[in-house]
Amino acid sequence: MKLNRENRVRIVTAASLFDGHDAAINVMRRIMQSKGAEVIHLGHNRSAEEIVKCAIEEDVHGIAVSSYQGGHIEFFQYMKDLLDQAGCNHIKIFGGGGGTILPQEGEQLLRYGITRIYNPDDGRNMGLEGMIEEVIGVCQSVSLLQPDFDQGSLEWKDKKDSRKIARAITLAEKGADHSGLLNDIRIKEIKNIPVIGITGTGGAGKSSVVDEIARRYLRAFPDKTIAIISIDPSRKKTGGALLGDRIRINTASDKRVYMRSLATREDNAAISRVAQEAIAICKAAGYDCIILETAGVGQSDVSVTDYCDVSIYVMTPEYGAASQLEKINMLDYADIIAINKFDKAGAEDALHDVRKQYKRNHTLFSASDDELPVVGICAHTFNDRRLNRFFHLLMNKIKGKTGVNWAVAPEEKRLSEEGASDNIIIPARRIRYLSEISDYIRSYNNGVKEQSQLASQLYQLQGAMALLKDTENENES
Amino acid sequence: MSTTGMRSILKHKYDEIEKRLRPETKKLLDEWKELRKKYESEELEYTVRGETIRQPMTTLSLSGTTIPKVVLPSYKDWGDIVQWLMQENVPGAFPYTAGVYELKRQGEDPTRMFAGEGCPERTNKRFHYVSAGQPAKRLSTAFDSVTLYGEDPDYRADIYGKIGNAGVSVATVDDAKKLYSGFDLCDPATSVSMTINGPAPIMLAFFMNAAIDQQCEKWITANDAWENVEAARKRIYASLPSPAYHNPGNSGSLPDGHSGLGLRILGLSGKDVLPREIYENIKKDTLRTIRGTVQADILKEDQAQNTCIFSTEFALRMMGDVQESFIRNKVRNFYSISISGYHMAEAGANPITQLAFTLANGFTYVEYFLSRGMHIDAFAPNLSFFFSNGMDPEYSVIGRVARRIWAKAIRFLYQGNERSQKLKYHIQTSGRSLHAQEIEFNDIRTTLQALYAIYDNCNSLHTNAYDEAITTPTEESVRRAIAIQLIINRELGSAKTENFLQGSFAVETLTDLVEEAVLAEFDRISNRGGVLGAMERMYQRNKIQEESLRYENLKHSGELPLVGVNTFLDKKGSPTILPDEVIRSTKEEKEQQINNTLAFRKRNEYQADEKLQALKTAAGTSENLFDVLLDTVNYCTLGQITHALYEVGGQYRRNM
Repeated sequence: MKLNRENRVRIVTAASLFDGHDAAINVMRRIMQSKGAEVIHLGHNRSAEEIVKCAIEEDVHGIAVSSYQGGHIEFFQYMKDLLDQAGCNHIKIFGGGGGTILPQEGEQLLRYGITRIYNPDDGRNMGLEGMIEEVIGVCQSVSLLQPDFDQGSLEWKDKKDSRKIARAITLAEKGADHSGLLNDIRIKEIKNIPVIGITGTGGAGKSSVVDEIARRYLRAFPDKTIAIISIDPSRKKTGGALLGDRIRINTASDKRVYMRSLATREDNAAISRVAQEAIAICKAAGYDCIILETAGVGQSDVSVTDYCDVSIYVMTPEYGAASQLEKINMLDYADIIAINKFDKAGAEDALHDVRKQYKRNHTLFSASDDELPVVGICAHTFNDRRLNRFFHLLMNKIKGKTGVNWAVAPEEKRLSEEGASDNIIIPARRIRYLSEISDYIRSYNNGVKEQSQLASQLYQLQGAMALLKDTENENES
Repeated sequence: MSTTGMRSILKHKYDEIEKRLRPETKKLLDEWKELRKKYESEELEYTVRGETIRQPMTTLSLSGTTIPKVVLPSYKDWGDIVQWLMQENVPGAFPYTAGVYELKRQGEDPTRMFAGEGCPERTNKRFHYVSAGQPAKRLSTAFDSVTLYGEDPDYRADIYGKIGNAGVSVATVDDAKKLYSGFDLCDPATSVSMTINGPAPIMLAFFMNAAIDQQCEKWITANDAWENVEAARKRIYASLPSPAYHNPGNSGSLPDGHSGLGLRILGLSGKDVLPREIYENIKKDTLRTIRGTVQADILKEDQAQNTCIFSTEFALRMMGDVQESFIRNKVRNFYSISISGYHMAEAGANPITQLAFTLANGFTYVEYFLSRGMHIDAFAPNLSFFFSNGMDPEYSVIGRVARRIWAKAIRFLYQGNERSQKLKYHIQTSGRSLHAQEIEFNDIRTTLQALYAIYDNCNSLHTNAYDEAITTPTEESVRRAIAIQLIINRELGSAKTENFLQGSFAVETLTDLVEEAVLAEFDRISNRGGVLGAMERMYQRNKIQEESLRYENLKHSGELPLVGVNTFLDKKGSPTILPDEVIRSTKEEKEQQINNTLAFRKRNEYQADEKLQALKTAAGTSENLFDVLLDTVNYCTLGQITHALYEVGGQYRRNM
């Protein structure tokens, strides 16, 4: 199948609500990626609203959902209804659910306007690859160049029109004119809008940190909105990309959040060429704060600092020897350095080493550790106490850098000072428990072998002695 | 040399070697003859939890042959005897390879009665149907996906279609009361299993309240106190409809065999209508008596099945709270976790991976509970296991290996007592091994898997219905599935011998191989930072996926022969069977569930906020959340509770 890089297919994949069966959709989305599609994978248990919100914000061609838990008629029809209401009936819906969706039900869904429901026979006849090629082919017939949408029944007036924001970014990405859309979405007063940039090595937990910042932000400021722009690398060979940050960011389903995932496409960089324009579009739309999350970076990459007011470098205690720290450029430039997964062994040492390196880099030899913007956090711990402090540090940095002073409610301040203490499931000294079990059992088994051998020898000796005794008795008689 | 001289050399050598024999080895050898004699006698006397049990040791075949129930080896060599006693031993003796009890329980087949569909009333009817005529009522509950993910039934379309499908809808304590009504939950012959994980602590609190209120109901009847209770009902329901048991598909009468127990008090709690002291006593006795299992295995959810709703740490904390509460309230007959490999196998794990991951999860709970200061012997007996039984050779020894590893680790590393060393497990025949082609052949597969399980002395068994590959089982197919077990247990002569596998060279070798393979997997997980460290790297999930892919490829290529699927096809090519219609919950059932839930919220609207606040406050402290939940569920729905807990414990964050 020929790659069409002009109209690169963007597609949302998910398993339906209350449905944990994600194996099939995972196989499908991998094939889509290999065929050059950019896939925003939401994983299992996603509501129709979440999927549709994502599809609109991400400006996709299509949605592919698996449903194995029943209720598929209602589920698919509801997604279609929501898209129609939003004036987004151009987005195609594909579905499948093995044998759980009966053929007559599949036909019913097609009549309702679902693009295609695949059944097990399709798999056998077309092969998985064939199915996916069909999906991509249909998606490519959808043009994402129009600046206008169907009316729909939804009132967009009172809120930000995420369709147009999304489309403006799409046009910017294609290098097409999006000034008209920009005029449509622009708010009257231009505000001072802080941009937070988050970068770090792959697997450091950047998306979790973004989610935790956004969660605290939404809670601390009940009337503020936020836009999250997240970048993942395109695969050079296929042109496809797995845009996998959204699956981790639970806050993306909040009404006050706009999230857009971008692929780096032809740029060989941690930040997509279009990021700057995406930020400008979100600013024009009046989001109160913007977070830019980069793709995983190497030690030398500092490009995020060109795009943001406050930059955060996320790392883990597992960076190797302390000398590795000397190579990380972001330790010079980041406003905050967060050592995530702080419950890992060696975390305190890492904090010590990074602080030492930070002091060297900034010739701050007399600074006390607490003054340094180097903190340990645990993004996987809910309401982590350290992350609460980190959030306040971030707010202070924003104030210092941009002058934007968001007063945090006293109640929030109190909560943040408390926060959850470490909930240690397995204490560090017990971490090798499974190997200890293996050792105990192997040693028992070896002991059995040895004891059994000794017992055998005793049995043989006892037998030999009895035979000798018999011989003696015979000789005597 | 003279023979006497030779003898003295040998004697010298004998004494030298004997010194290296450990006292416990000597003891085993000394007692061997007596042990043999004990098993050759006509009756065996043994104790289970302080109760002395006597059982005949033989059965008589139609031909007049006396068939021993447990057969011991006729080894002469002391080395063989030592080896056998230390790695095999008789059932009921360390390392429990052949079984954890001396003999099988009489009068109770290890058959579970599985149900879950529509509204609680419909599933209740099914429970009464499948357990009719059985002395032991072993009820297994499947919940609908709305419940499994901790939400309330709702008109919202993406929720609506799932209400009461593939399981029963339970959103309130009233639903639980109806679901198990007519079964005395404190009867020693009743045991209830609930297949739920994410919201397990809440469902458990529903169940316990249902059990307590049944006993309250009995007390009210015995003490002729209904007048007061009915007065209370009039007061509470002055302007609201009182909840009722109503099966839209079977209006009017209760199902056959339903005693009515649990329904008279429906909509009230003994808490509100009985003197406090009496209520507390009933509660105390009930908690000590109830029998059953809640799955509540959050680790395997994150590794294979995906019904996680809370952040993993918070989910584990609640499990710890449940266990602590069990210890304090002396809940001794209820399993607080069913550590499950079944779902891993269904997701594609091979038997070794299934066994290794499941045992590793089990030891992770052990470590966590120990770290919270609980004593091994206080909680280990509350743990149970759940495996899948497929066609692979390793499945013939899965119980043997599981018991042996568990016993050795608990005894030597964790210093647990004998009761803690005994691993008990439920096993279900493999759903994945059933195919949508030639579905009649599925019963043959299930029969063979059931035979594996029964020979392996499982403690509890579920046999799948042959049509499960294409639809929700019907009463007819479920009856056949239960017959499979009954035929093996009651008709098959070889199953009268309870250690039929012992002494087989093949079985012994396989046991050793699988044991070592599991230990090797333990080492691999350990190198990734233990179970939680490996989960963070998605190790378990990826391994299961790889194994699944391998199976699919072999099935597709025909290298793995599957009769009626890729070989031995019929004239028409053994096409995929489509069900004529699928049993789905009705509109009436769905709306009844939604309306009942709304009515429950309405009835408690003035108390719910305060109760939820108390729950949230407890979550922020070290207070035991489960103790609080036992109260909360009387005023709040499942969805209200999970949403309140998300605020304080965090929602699950998906992985990829």
